[in-house]
Amino acid sequence: MNKKILFGFVISAIAIIFACSKKSTPGDEPVVNSFDKGAMLINYADNLIIPAYSDLQTQLNTLNTAVNGFLTNPTAANQQMLKPVFKAAYLSFERVSFSQLGPAETALLNNFLNTLPAMTNDDSNLAKIESSIKSGSYDLQATATVNQQGFPALDYLLFASDAVTKLNDAGNANRKKYIQDVMARMQSLTSGVLTNWKNTYRGQFIANTKSDAGSPIGYMVNQFAYEMDQLKGPRIGWPYGKQSAGAVFETKLEGYYSGISLSLAIENLTNLKILYVGGSSGNGLSAYLLALKKDQLNSDIIRYFDNAIAKLKAIPEPLANSLTNNKPAVDAAYKDIQILLTALKTDMASALSVRITYTDNDGD
Amino acid sequence: MATKFLSPNKKGVMDNWREKITRPISISPLITFRIIFGALMLFSTVRFWANGWIDSLYVKPQIYFTYMGFEWVKPLGDTGMHLLFLIMGLSAIGIMLGLLYRFSAILFFLSFTYVELIDVTNYLNHYYFVSIVAFLLILLPAGRCKSVDIWFSPQRKITHVPLWIVGVIRLQMAIVYFYAGLAKLTPEWMLEAIPMKIWLPAKSHLPLVGPLMYKAWVAYLFSWFGAAYDLLIPFFLINRKTRNSGFLAVLAFHICTAIFFPAIGMFPYVMMLSSLIFFSSSFHDKLLGVHRRVSFPSKLLPAIQAKFLSVVLTVYFFIQIVVPLRFLLYPGHLFWYEEGYRFSWRVMLMEKSGNTFFYVKESKTGKTFEVDNSKYLTPQQEKMMSTQPDMIIRYAHFLKAEYQKKGIKDPKIYAEGFVALNGLRSQPFIDPNIDLASQQLSFGHVQWILPFYKDSK
Repeated sequence: MNKKILFGFVISAIAIIFACSKKSTPGDEPVVNSFDKGAMLINYADNLIIPAYSDLQTQLNTLNTAVNGFLTNPTAANQQMLKPVFKAAYLSFERVSFSQLGPAETALLNNFLNTLPAMTNDDSNLAKIESSIKSGSYDLQATATVNQQGFPALDYLLFASDAVTKLNDAGNANRKKYIQDVMARMQSLTSGVLTNWKNTYRGQFIANTKSDAGSPIGYMVNQFAYEMDQLKGPRIGWPYGKQSAGAVFETKLEGYYSGISLSLAIENLTNLKILYVGGSSGNGLSAYLLALKKDQLNSDIIRYFDNAIAKLKAIPEPLANSLTNNKPAVDAAYKDIQILLTALKTDMASALSVRITYTDNDGD
Repeated sequence: MATKFLSPNKKGVMDNWREKITRPISISPLITFRIIFGALMLFSTVRFWANGWIDSLYVKPQIYFTYMGFEWVKPLGDTGMHLLFLIMGLSAIGIMLGLLYRFSAILFFLSFTYVELIDVTNYLNHYYFVSIVAFLLILLPAGRCKSVDIWFSPQRKITHVPLWIVGVIRLQMAIVYFYAGLAKLTPEWMLEAIPMKIWLPAKSHLPLVGPLMYKAWVAYLFSWFGAAYDLLIPFFLINRKTRNSGFLAVLAFHICTAIFFPAIGMFPYVMMLSSLIFFSSSFHDKLLGVHRRVSFPSKLLPAIQAKFLSVVLTVYFFIQIVVPLRFLLYPGHLFWYEEGYRFSWRVMLMEKSGNTFFYVKESKTGKTFEVDNSKYLTPQQEKMMSTQPDMIIRYAHFLKAEYQKKGIKDPKIYAEGFVALNGLRSQPFIDPNIDLASQQLSFGHVQWILPFYKDSK
């Protein structure tokens, strides 16, 4: 009897809902479309993330050969030959920077390869590198040394204004060995992550279609926010003096010594857009938003990406000079980066019901 | 019904009610409740510790968002916080076993509530529920039977209490449910099925029901069933005839919430087990293996104690009924301003997120420093702060002090905030021309939050 009352109530509630929803929106109530998250994740894994790691591995091998060649005969001319190879590898890293999850998270790949902000002349990490080179004893496995290796360390050791001189100094054997050790560590970390993705993590990644903290979708949405925070902060904003009332710290730029900071920032953001739309197949978070009937948000995000990329490209190279000499161009880019950041971090995360937080504590 | 003890001393029908609610019943429902509550709290404490949350929520953060009037509540450091949780766990055991019962209950209430008062960031309705139930347990004679205390001093044993003593917990639960139901009666929840429509597609990974999560009617079903459940369940549970089916609904509802929204943690289990309090004393007698003589009870709660309790609890419930209604005193959209939002049983009611950029401006020179929030706040704190006005003010005050320490003279704190509410696009949240450090926390309506526009899709 009582169960019948309860049941009856539920049934009548449903009936009322249908009556109401029909009345208020005649015709077609926009029902959310189904969406195959598994297929989206397969696209991310197979067409975007794993190929990016493969490419980085290849680029690092090429770079290793080029670095060894340069170290055998460290001249200014050879340094110039080395630079495009170094740039290609660094750009390749920008395309895996986003994928800081799974194996990369476990191995701290991003931390070891590219901790930002990059070291500066007055940085104690730079002094530590020099003292490590002098003593010849150091442990690049230690997490305390994340600031003393990876691309920022190579950038300094290979392209600082006195790099060639130092490589020809007495005691250069230690310096060359340090560079080779940094190179070897970057290679082994990268191939470790790639192997792990191929052999084990890919399966877990594509099978987990949840959106909670720690899930692939949750992680990816958080990474969009994180990469935008990085771009707004250490990549552009902090060196530009946003935190320091306009006092410019150009040496804090990513890739400062090789003078490729702007290219790196553009590559990072361009790749972030590719990841957003899901590459050539288009089966990315963009498609997920469309399935959720967030057409306007999706087209706005794409427009904000294009605006921000265009504004970055409008800044004259090198960025280190433009921070002081072309402030309006930098300001314009900064403004558009901030707009895109809000759209990704707040609007997209909210629409996809993903929390921007790494902690998994309770909520209600 | 238990509520009626609130209005004693009326003739006729009231006298009848009075007689009914003061009728002695077995103390067993209270005893079961005590044991279950103690066990759940012990489990919660262990879980919290094991998850490393003591460290990440109460040791690692650099700043804490305290409650107005409770600024003196401070985290106690690594060792101190772990000790506090140890005390919490031990007092939960004390409650469960009825060992030094009142002392344990007081200790649990104080330690748990202290922890909750440290940081607004971690406010959860079910933590608040735990705090007030712990407070009620201090007052109620739940340690006077089937307890270690009584094993040591059997002369203090009580076998029967007036019905309203058990009614206290029932009424408290009924208030929670009913207010949670009232809060859902908004056009968005009922007519648009928002935020269910936003949340459910994120649950499409679930087996069997996964594909249904994209259907609008499922979102409506969840919304309407949720509202109806919260509003009606107290009545179903109080009424003897509907109690069994009501309890089935409790199980069904909370198991569903545990499956669909695992992030709510212990809450479903706390509510499912607490609902057992609605069952009759004979049910609880059986559960506890008590065989009571049906004859006149021998060990009653002393009358003077009952009288005292009835006065204290009348005041208590008056507060409980009024506090959730305080939002009525504020103008503007409740979800936007969140004035009177907490302590009102508004559970899983809105989808709200935001981000905020803070700027510190030195008055004389006009020099502006942008703040890296992640330097001072945990991601969770930053997220919570970005959508809650009182936290924004606290943070602005912190920034002012922080930048003064850095040598900035008379810093003014400005912010640009963007908040997306219930599936709408993000909107500017904070008036960027107001020095937030000059604003004081108060119970008045905030003036520096920009108005909410509903039709900004």
